[in-house]
Amino acid sequence: MSVIDLLTRVDSICKKYDKYDLEKHKDANVSGDDAFVRLYSSVNSDIESLLQKAETASKDRGKASAVAINAEIRRTKARLLEEVPKLQRLAVKKVKGLSSQEFAARNDLVLALPERIQAIPDGTPAAPKQTGGWASSASRAEIKFDSDGRFDDEYFQSTDQSNQFRQEYEMRRIKQDQGLDVIAEGLDTLKDMAHDMNEELDRQVPLMDEIDTKVDKASSDLKNTNVRLKDTVNQLRSSRNFCIDIVLLIIILGIAAYLYKFEILRRIGRLVKDRKLEGCSSIRNILLKVC
Amino acid sequence: MNRKGVHKTRRPRNQYNTTMASSDPNKLLSKADKLTRLSLTRWSADWKTATVLYEQAANGFRVSKNIEKAKTAYEKASQGQQMLSSPWDAAKHMESAAALAKELSNWREVADFYQKASELFMECGRPQPASDALAKGARALEDTMPEEAIQLYTDAITILEDDEKEQMSFDLYRAVTSVYIKLEKYTDAASSLLRLGLAADKCNATNSQTKAYLGAIIVYLYAHDFKQAEQCYNDCTQIDAFLKSDHSRCAGKFLSAYTDGDVDEIKKIAQSSAVSHLDHAIIRLARKLPTGDVSSLKAVTAEDDEEPLDENDLT
Repeated sequence: MSVIDLLTRVDSICKKYDKYDLEKHKDANVSGDDAFVRLYSSVNSDIESLLQKAETASKDRGKASAVAINAEIRRTKARLLEEVPKLQRLAVKKVKGLSSQEFAARNDLVLALPERIQAIPDGTPAAPKQTGGWASSASRAEIKFDSDGRFDDEYFQSTDQSNQFRQEYEMRRIKQDQGLDVIAEGLDTLKDMAHDMNEELDRQVPLMDEIDTKVDKASSDLKNTNVRLKDTVNQLRSSRNFCIDIVLLIIILGIAAYLYKFEILRRIGRLVKDRKLEGCSSIRNILLKVC
Repeated sequence: MNRKGVHKTRRPRNQYNTTMASSDPNKLLSKADKLTRLSLTRWSADWKTATVLYEQAANGFRVSKNIEKAKTAYEKASQGQQMLSSPWDAAKHMESAAALAKELSNWREVADFYQKASELFMECGRPQPASDALAKGARALEDTMPEEAIQLYTDAITILEDDEKEQMSFDLYRAVTSVYIKLEKYTDAASSLLRLGLAADKCNATNSQTKAYLGAIIVYLYAHDFKQAEQCYNDCTQIDAFLKSDHSRCAGKFLSAYTDGDVDEIKKIAQSSAVSHLDHAIIRLARKLPTGDVSSLKAVTAEDDEEPLDENDLT
């Protein structure tokens, strides 16, 4: 079976069983009878669609599509607001089969409509609260005016005093502006100097790094040299060498003493032979005699 | 000496220096020359002692203010150090020789010596002193041989940029710009400022960069080349850092004042703080703005906007 055949068959079935379609009947019935309900339902559906569009617009914040959607929303809102008075007139008309409660409810619904329409977000910032003249603001309990609302023409007349005050105010403002200009210049200079200092420091950072590495290298070289020097000096001063030196010295002294002693003994022998040693008590006297 | 019983007298220091080699610098110089000159008796020059003697002679000459001789002695000492393959000392001696040549106002020699010194520094693998030497030479020659000075400055800048030390090159760029301005070669000055901007961009030195661009625009305006200035401004606004800065706003004000032909406005902008922080040469130019006839510019630009915007015309 082809698609076209399917569609025609489905259509005929729907038509046959239309009388069982309650929703459609309800709408048809309702729309058939009541102009008010018709208009009201259309306005309602418009409001719903606008709300949906407003949601999509708020999601695409900042895009051109959001702007276009907001513009459309605004136009539709204006149109709907125009239809509200029509609705109001219809609401007053009596329709058969309508209870009095429903009738009253209709009025309220119509009154609620403009607020609902205005409430649809359309990208414009919230309208500032209307002050609505002195009277309404004075009616707020928290805000009080000192002069109790005597705001007639006389109050706003420009007297000498107020003129002078205004002039003084202008002068002071000019002076302040001048002072602020001077301060602004000073700040500009400071900013420029700060920027230059920043750049200068940036320039010096790699130089410092280089200095750092070079000094590190130099200090490690020094350490190495120190250690080697220490080793060399220690080697020269090592106790082993000292001992060897002392021993050799002793040997030389011993040899010298031996030779010297040998010579002394020979001389003492000669003296004894010559009998010249009588009466010499100490060795010193002997030695003196020997030399 | 003490053992021999000779009483060693204490001499004051400077006397010690000159009498150290026991003769005056001339004698030292001749002695060293003899050591280096090749002859039948001497088959190879003894550069080691000769260099030492040359250095002493040069010091002696410098102390006695005999500049010409000192310079020659330094030259020969440098040559000796080169022979001894110590390019660092050779370069140092060359620099001293060049400084003395400057005092003698011997400009050609100054340029040559500084260039030689720079080459020797590069041989040592130290680009920074090399560019310093060239910069010193250029500074010495600024007044007398500006073309040569520019050449030396450019070489110095190239050396630094090759070594990726653009930060150091800012000063050199500014010097080049001031020389160009003195020579009244405004397009060259502006182009050197733009190169400064490029170097500053590489090191993220935004303040210098924006100042350079504003300076370039002012130079173009001073040369009364409004189209170029506008083009320069359009090019520079492509760069974020410039676009967001005070200097670009100032430049925009300048250009709009020019298009409006408002002389007072131009003078007021020239007094503003953004301009006062630039290089002093450029400030002088800015204060002298506007050169020439600003109203003619106004007529030219007004013609371009002649067709009013037709709202219904959708093309």
